[in-house]
Parts: sequence; structure tokens; C-alpha cells
Amino acid sequence: MVEPSPAPVHLGSARGGWLRQFGWRHAVGVIALFFALFPIVFVMSAAMNPLGTLSSTELIPTGAGLDNFRKLLRDTNFTTWFGNTLLIGVVAAVVSMFLSACAAYAFSRYRFRGRRMGLMSILLVQMFPQNLAVVALYLMFTRVTDLYPAIGFNTPWALILLYLGAALSVNTWLMKGFFDTIPRELDESAKVDGATHAQIFVGIILPLVAPILAVTGLIGFITAVNEFILASVFLTEPESKTLAVGLYGLVAGERNNNFGVFCAGSLLTAIPTVALFQFLQRYIVGGLTSGAVKG
Amino acid sequence: MAEVTLEKINKQYENGFHAVRDLDLKVADGEFLVLVGPSGCGKTTALRMVAGLEDITSGTLRIADRVVNTLSPKDRDIAMVFQSYALYPHMNVAENIAYGLKIRRMSKEEIRRRVQRAADMLELGPLLDRKPKQLSGGQRQRVAMGRAIVREPQVFLMDEPLSNLDAKLRVQMRAQIAQLQRDLEVTTIYVTHDQVEAMTMGDRVAVMKTGLLQQVGEPQHIYENPDNIFVAGFIGSPPMNMALGVVERAGGGLAVQLGSAKLALAPSANAKHASLASYVGRDVAVGIRSEDMEDSRLVRDAPPDSRLKAAVTITEALGSELVVHFQLDARAVVTEDIRLLEKDSGKADVPHHEAGTRFVASFAPRSQVRPRDEIEVVVDTERMHFFDPGSGSAIRA
Repeated sequence: MVEPSPAPVHLGSARGGWLRQFGWRHAVGVIALFFALFPIVFVMSAAMNPLGTLSSTELIPTGAGLDNFRKLLRDTNFTTWFGNTLLIGVVAAVVSMFLSACAAYAFSRYRFRGRRMGLMSILLVQMFPQNLAVVALYLMFTRVTDLYPAIGFNTPWALILLYLGAALSVNTWLMKGFFDTIPRELDESAKVDGATHAQIFVGIILPLVAPILAVTGLIGFITAVNEFILASVFLTEPESKTLAVGLYGLVAGERNNNFGVFCAGSLLTAIPTVALFQFLQRYIVGGLTSGAVKG
Repeated sequence: MAEVTLEKINKQYENGFHAVRDLDLKVADGEFLVLVGPSGCGKTTALRMVAGLEDITSGTLRIADRVVNTLSPKDRDIAMVFQSYALYPHMNVAENIAYGLKIRRMSKEEIRRRVQRAADMLELGPLLDRKPKQLSGGQRQRVAMGRAIVREPQVFLMDEPLSNLDAKLRVQMRAQIAQLQRDLEVTTIYVTHDQVEAMTMGDRVAVMKTGLLQQVGEPQHIYENPDNIFVAGFIGSPPMNMALGVVERAGGGLAVQLGSAKLALAPSANAKHASLASYVGRDVAVGIRSEDMEDSRLVRDAPPDSRLKAAVTITEALGSELVVHFQLDARAVVTEDIRLLEKDSGKADVPHHEAGTRFVASFAPRSQVRPRDEIEVVVDTERMHFFDPGSGSAIRA
């Protein structure tokens, strides 16, 4: 007589089936997506609406079209603002990334008099909201504009200078923490191999801190693109405005119905940020240093 | 090729910690010198000073007759292998090995040739385009070696390069590194806390303790003639057994009373330890290596007064030998050195409440000794060691 073979034993998660193992992740994903896209749908709807109002009752308004985009590009300085914003955003992000990296490298690797003080004071300084300084900055730049108009009011360079200073302290702290996780033996090994400080910094350290560079660069860019208060104080000429200031001007009046154009502009403004996110995504993945030392 | 000379080298940190004191050491051209000692003895600091990664507080460091005290590492013509290997994670194996050459602006052709040769030597050929994280521990270790040899430096410095490998691989790499060094004939300073590596790899061994050099010499010489209690306890596995005994006159020669047992020195030992005569009636630390003891039932013509009474606690049959732990009624040696050794070997963490002293002997495998047996152990009295219990120095002629 043949014994009946026993039922197969399922261990742990092998029993749950597709829904329990993977399905719930899709559900969470869909909810997150809905949450993220919900407001954008309204902006898109408004951008398509030829009436220029925000209080449309339909998702796809009657007579939807690209009129608002056409108006934006034809009747306003949108392209100039876009260029200004990109210039300010990119230069501020890249330069502050580099400056912070240099500072963080020094704070992380060298021991020098005032190191602790330096770290503490930049931590302290960055605790004050930047807007506290608006009046002081305005007065300073009034003088600067008199003396050196090239970096004064209504130039992108004035704003770039300001944004550099603003981002430096936070970025330096962020990066220093990351630099500290890179084993010192790597520096020493390169040193024995014959590399100079600059070669170590550029050839060994920077490639390894790429994730934090990407993050600080991204944050720097987004901050510069979105910043409004300082930009609105510093930039008054129509040609020198950034997108934030320029678009605000479209809806600042009391009785205008430019919201369609405004929304069209907002959508276009989001493009560089989203594109940058896509591009940097692969760098914002940690674990690049694994394998340097044991483990 | 070059010799390395350390003259009165000191390292004192700003917080006052004196890591290395008056270190005098001469490493001959092409020699393999092993710096060994427990953790915190200053051996790595000494090596890092030779590498130029640590400032020298005082003293003179020469590489090939050139004073290099203040030269930066890259101008010293040395290569270093780090304990953690310190491979550059974003470069593949070939780039890792070539980095030092590229920095020195060597021609592409020459770099390719040298990397290829190093890869052949270390059997890294198929791994050249892998990243470090795709390698096993042993492979990473070989890449680190490759990075050192490709530069063809005057001196190799190795900082515990095998301590991250598992035991089996360590034995294999030990032989490979020693072989490589013999083939290349490059002066090498090798730091380790593993006395087995020290014994097996070095032409000479330098034992350090708390920043002080204890003894330098060929491994076998140090093993047989340790200068003090510390070296005796550190070199050798299992470590030398030690107990306090009282020196007495017996017949024409000397004997030591070790607990209830009396051991008469063999005539040759009397001559070898002539100054022991001045210790008559006083305590000495007696050292006996495990292989210098044997099960009395296996020894036919043991001389009189060469037996210890022992209570066996554990036996470990290793096949080629039988390691027997037994309890002796002699007093234990308690000095600063012994405490340091016990701390380093982890023995201090293991509680033991027995009175007396625990000895470890290795008997021939045909010995039938079992735990809890009361046995007699024959000591080779020619090969005993004696130390001053106060200063810890060896008592010799």
C-alpha cells in the first residue's frame, strides 16, 4: 500500500500569495500618486481654461486650449524670467555645492584652531530666519549698487551672492556629516600613493560624496527658483525678474483675471526642477562607499 | 632597495600620551621585519611615522641614508597596505592598482605593463574590471597588495593586512605575502598583533610593549631566549607557563622549589643561568614551555627531581599532540606584564577560581591522560627559563 504523500509545507511569506506579497505595494503607490497629482490636475485645468479663472466647475473646461501658454510667451517677459531663474538657480546651486564641499572637507579632515568654534557658529547663524536680514541686506546693496552696479540691484549676481551665503551653513553641516563617513584610510592611502590634497579631494572624496552633492545641489536649485521675498525686493525691472517675482506680478493686481496665464507659467516653471530630479535621482542613492573597507 | 633606520624615535600626542618611546630599530635592505605587540603598544604609530602619516616628535628617521623626518609620504618612496585595505570604491581593480602610477604621470603604456605584471603575480587578471564591493575579502587583500607592489617602492609598510580575513585564508595569505616579499626583495616592515604571523613571516621580529621596544631578533632566537617575562608570555602559543619558585642549592648545582615539587637544574642549565646562584633563597619566576613537559609514563629515564605533581583539568586532543591543562600548587606570577598579557589574550575576561597556577603542556598523543587524573609531569630541566620577578628580566649567565 502506498502512503499518501503529505501536503507540501509552506513557510512564512511563501503562503501569502501575490496580493499579500506585492499587491499592497501597488495600492500604496497608487494612493501616493493620487495624493501627489491631485493639486497638479487643478493647475493644469486652470492653465487650459480660456476664461482665466480658478473657479471652474469642470475638470476639462469648455474651450480648453493652449491660449494661456500663447499669451504667456507673447505678452509677458516669460522667457527672460525663465532664463534669469535658470542662471541664478544653476550658478547658485553649483557654486554653493562646491564651496560647501570645500568647507566640509576642511572641517571633516583637518584639525585646526577654531574648528569647533567655526562649526558651532555656522550652526548658530543658520538658525536665524534669513528674512530677518532683508532690511540690512537692502541697505548694504543700496551702497553696493552705487559702487558696483554690476552686482547691485536688478542683476542676477546680487541674488546669487545672497543665495550662496544663505545655503552655505546648512550645506556645510550636511556634507560634513557625510564626509565623516568616508574612511580616513582612503585619504591616507591616496596620500601614500602620492596624491596632493587637491587630488585627493577631487579624485577620491568628491566621487564618493556624489549623493550628498546631488542633494545639496538640488535643494540649492529649488530654493533659488522658488525664493520670492529677497528676489522681489532686489529685482524690480521687468527684464531682471525671476519667475517667482514675474509670475506673481501677473496676479498681483486686484481686478485681473490672469490666473490661466499664471498657471501656465507655473507648470512651465516646474519643468526644470522635475527634470533635474530625474537626472539626479540615480546619484541620490547611498551605498556608494560600500566595499571601500571590510564588510 | 633601502634600509630603514629609526634612531631614538618618539611620539607624544598633544594630550600628553606618549605612544612610542626612544625607538631604535634598523631594518636591513631587503629584510622582512615584523613589529609585534598587544594593542596600544605603539607599533602602528611607529609604522605610520615611517609612512609619514604621523609627525615624529623627536628622533631621526632614515630611509636609504636620507633623513625623511619631514618629507611627505609621497616623497619617501614607500607603499603601504592598510588593515582595512582602503581600496577606492569608485574605481575598478585596475584603476585602483594604477592610481599611484597615474598620479605620478607615468606613461599609459608603462602603467598598463606594470598593472598587468602585478595582476599576474597576484592572480588578479580576471578581476581587473570589477569594483571593490564585488570582491571577496581575500581578493580585496590581494588588490591592496597589488597597489603596493606596482609602485616598486623602496619599502613596504603593512599594517595588520591579514586581520580582516578568516583563519584559513589568513594562513594562505601569510605564505603568499612572505613569498612575494622574498621574490621582490623589498625592505618590509609588517605590523601585527598576532604572534603566529610574527614567528612565521619575519626574518626578524621586534616585540613592543607600551611604546617601548622589548626585544629584537630572529623569531626562533626570541622564542628560545626571551629577554623578559613579557616577551616570554607574548611569543609562543600557548604562552609560556610561569610560576613563582624558590631557588635552592642541591648537590653541586641549583634547584627550584615549585610548590611541593623540586626541580633540579640540568648541568648545562646551571651554566646557562649562572647568575641564578645569587638568587638562592629568593623567589624567581620560572618559565616552562608547553613542549618541554611530558607525561611521566611516557618518559623512561627521567632524571630525579624533574617531576611536577599535577591535577588535570582539561585535555585537548589535536591529533599530533595532546594539550593538557593542569593545576599546580605553585604560586602564580603576578606582575604588570602578566596582567597586560592576560588582558590582551582575553584571559582576564575568563573567571577562574582555582588556587595555584594553571599550566598547559603538550604531551605525545599516545598519552592516555584524562581530565581529573592526578598525574606526574616530567620537565626538561635543561630548557627552563628564569626571570627576576621584580624587574621581569631574564636571569642568564
